[in-house]
Amino acid sequence: MSLTTFSSFLLSYPLYQLGNPQLRLFRPNWFLTLVRPGKEQPPDTVQFRIPMEMTKCDVKSYLEKIYNVPVGVVRTRIQFGSNKKRNHLNQRVKQPDYKVAYVQLAQGQTFTFPDIFPEKDRTPTEGSMEEMQEKFMEDEKQRQKLDPRRGGVTEWFGL
Amino acid sequence: MWQDALLNMAACSSAGRVLSLCRRFQNVLRISSATNIQRSAVNVTKYHCQLYRETSPLVSPFWSSPTSTASQCRGLHTTISRRGLEEFFDLPENWGEANVKSGAPWTAKQLRTKSNEDLHKLWYVLLKEKNMLLTLEQESKRQRLQMPSPERLRKVERSMFRLETVVTERETALRLLQTGQEKGRPGAWRRNLFGYIYWYRFKEYAIPWYMNKRYKRKTFYTPHFVQPHMRLRLEKHLRDKTRKANSEKQKLAKLKEKFPLMKVPAS
Repeated sequence: MSLTTFSSFLLSYPLYQLGNPQLRLFRPNWFLTLVRPGKEQPPDTVQFRIPMEMTKCDVKSYLEKIYNVPVGVVRTRIQFGSNKKRNHLNQRVKQPDYKVAYVQLAQGQTFTFPDIFPEKDRTPTEGSMEEMQEKFMEDEKQRQKLDPRRGGVTEWFGL
Repeated sequence: MWQDALLNMAACSSAGRVLSLCRRFQNVLRISSATNIQRSAVNVTKYHCQLYRETSPLVSPFWSSPTSTASQCRGLHTTISRRGLEEFFDLPENWGEANVKSGAPWTAKQLRTKSNEDLHKLWYVLLKEKNMLLTLEQESKRQRLQMPSPERLRKVERSMFRLETVVTERETALRLLQTGQEKGRPGAWRRNLFGYIYWYRFKEYAIPWYMNKRYKRKTFYTPHFVQPHMRLRLEKHLRDKTRKANSEKQKLAKLKEKFPLMKVPAS
């Protein structure tokens, strides 16, 4: 009996006994986050943050079937989120725990985490709000500047 | 008739992209007629989604599933996505932008018009979009920059939630018709140790209950010494209710004193 609904807390997997059909999941409720590795990783390794309930086999089949990515080996670990920091009421604030998966790609593929926030020359469109704001800010800055004839000396000194 | 409705709606929409979008969907997707949910549940291997990414999946396109073509195929047909891990990132044109445009989330009403295969595909489209947005969010936190258009994430979450409600609605309807049972997982109303009655959902075991030592330790009855506590609990609840009602009345009386022409709110 394969699973049809996928609410996380109402979920229970059917019991598996030898000879039962393969468990199949429809509309999985699991989301993977590709993260930039903190430590230097080999070129074929991709680092993901995965939900706690996922296993290595789950990650492998997820990537292979949904993303069509050839996966070799998956290794996982659970990162403990710190409980040390305290808030203004001196109560300990827990940062959530998360599972990290290191996926090694098969077929000699490599992956480098791209730069998603490149510097772009932003010229605001004519007559738009952004242009007016930029102009205003520039005028304000110009006003704050000291008199160039004073040669860098501040107003504090008289004359 | 479908095509006319399609073109009318496409004409009303702002972008001409929607029309091309509809046409592309009609050409590529061969969707079978609405079938039994269990039989149409396809092995995930066959599913490779995301033909193109010019428009965000949130732009709810005005395409409706056309009637089946001459081939009458049952399976799902989609193009294989050739970009593997690139699908975890947005289109390169959007990298570094401050705002990325996206449409409205899917409403339950719109989703109810779609066939099961369409909903199945849409789930994966939304899943991939959500993965992409989560990677973007994490990377923006890492780089200490603002994530462009974070409302997209909430829109996708809402769409997925509504999709799931629609699918469960259809499943319960089908189950009621076929078996007369409303819930898929069997359960019963049982009383727990503290006197509360709740819906206990059965769990699947390999052995019968009389051989299950852990199950036999559970108590589905309330011992007699809990009765006074239940009574006290009930009294507390009633006291709270009356106090709340009285405070509401007093509040209204005071307001009426200050503002005699006030209209009493109906609640």
